[in-house]
Amino acid sequence: MAVAIGLAVLLAGCEIDGGDNLPRVSDQGLVMYAEANRHEAEDTAQIAAAVFNDGETVALVGGDVFEARTVTERILLKTGGSFAGSYAASLPVDNSVQDIFFDIVHLPIEAREDRWYPIDLLNIDPGPGELVGKSATVTFPPPVSITAPLPDAVYTSINDVITLAWDLANPPGDAMRVLSAIECNDGLATSSYGTEVEIGADDGSAVISMDNFIYDLTAGSSTIKFLSDAALGLLQETLNQLSAGNIDPDFLARQAGANPINSMCEIRLFLQRQLQGRFDVTFDDGTVFGSTSAEVSVLYLPAVTTN
Amino acid sequence: MPAIRLLLIIVLVACNTKTVQAENMQLDVNLGWTSLDAGGNDQFKSGKALAVHYNYFLKHWLAADIGVYVTDKTPEESSQDIVGSFRTSIQSQAILLGLKPRYKFSTPYEVYGRLGLQYWHTELEVEEYFGPGIPEGKVSADDNGYGYYVSIGGGYYVTENVMAQLELRHMEQVDVFEGKSQYPFDLAIISFSFGVGYRF
Repeated sequence: MAVAIGLAVLLAGCEIDGGDNLPRVSDQGLVMYAEANRHEAEDTAQIAAAVFNDGETVALVGGDVFEARTVTERILLKTGGSFAGSYAASLPVDNSVQDIFFDIVHLPIEAREDRWYPIDLLNIDPGPGELVGKSATVTFPPPVSITAPLPDAVYTSINDVITLAWDLANPPGDAMRVLSAIECNDGLATSSYGTEVEIGADDGSAVISMDNFIYDLTAGSSTIKFLSDAALGLLQETLNQLSAGNIDPDFLARQAGANPINSMCEIRLFLQRQLQGRFDVTFDDGTVFGSTSAEVSVLYLPAVTTN
Repeated sequence: MPAIRLLLIIVLVACNTKTVQAENMQLDVNLGWTSLDAGGNDQFKSGKALAVHYNYFLKHWLAADIGVYVTDKTPEESSQDIVGSFRTSIQSQAILLGLKPRYKFSTPYEVYGRLGLQYWHTELEVEEYFGPGIPEGKVSADDNGYGYYVSIGGGYYVTENVMAQLELRHMEQVDVFEGKSQYPFDLAIISFSFGVGYRF
């Protein structure tokens, strides 16, 4: 009993380690990550973007802002992601929309529109920053349709595997990826976090070990890749849209209370078909994707052990 | 503004219908704490204000009310958005013209109210910081206009001529920066004050 209490106290103070959670960023030069994702039949696309310079995130300030637009709609990415320099927003789209255009623009008044005072009269404009004028374009790939696993499939061990299957597309996407939003409850506390699994080829199936989603808080390391950079902002924005705003804004990056390996967990899997976009103005490195996604939820119910 | 002219005429006419008598005037000096609300996501800190009123009693229960109201420079909590870190501050003065009804209980207590129009002058200042290597800035703008004020208070006669008083006041400045900006706002000032009234 005392050991259990001690363990609970120990776990209550734990946080998901952000130290190993940084995006893989080139040490040199200007790097941009951007993605536009359309989830199932939603009438908005989730947009996320981040810029790094020499490995450090670059916050757009002074009226510089990411703009995402279609032929008829546009939105400024004014909502910050989970770390400085990442931005996310939702852009209205319909089935006629194929391309999303990203631009970094200088709009000192529009960028301040959430402020209460007369921003057009009291405007301190330091002028455009060095990133203004950079742009990229992405195209949405064909929609994704998941055929396996079935919703609410149950897994009992982190050694189990999920056999993921989806309909093939013509033309196929450049890559497939799974983003997950996971919530675990041990009866006393909850944990929530997000993970990312790169699948690779768009060939219709993949086998993913459960230890890509469930981990042991007491273990020194795990195989999990926690969500970071634009992917984190993108999934948080997707969850926000799907819940009509009724989700914790830090759902994917909050404190870990329950140890997932010993808890009941709901794992929401967002399978993404990605199509590489192009930078219209050269960056030193980075990626820009258009993607479509579909969701299936599975359950992790650890087997009860008896002494 | 027609309304303030009309109120001024009413007050002046009322004043002329009664000859000046002993102890039908009063001077109030109140010091108060203010709460500012510009109607948006502003987060002003509490500020201070000084109000000075001259009352001329037209009847036992009604006085003309002329006053001056001055707030100190009241800052907002610092805020951060994608543009930068910013903070506003507001300073305001107003000339007040209205009526002050009162009800005198058995000595030494009375309650009173004030209701009238104000002509205000308000200055709004913004400071903004963008981060290392980018020059920060500070700008300000001011505006004048009309509004109204209403208050309720209570007094305690310490002596025959001196009254200690508490007062709750609401002042509304309407359409601040209207015509100068596409984003005008209404400024509400609520204050709780204490002070002294002197009858003479």
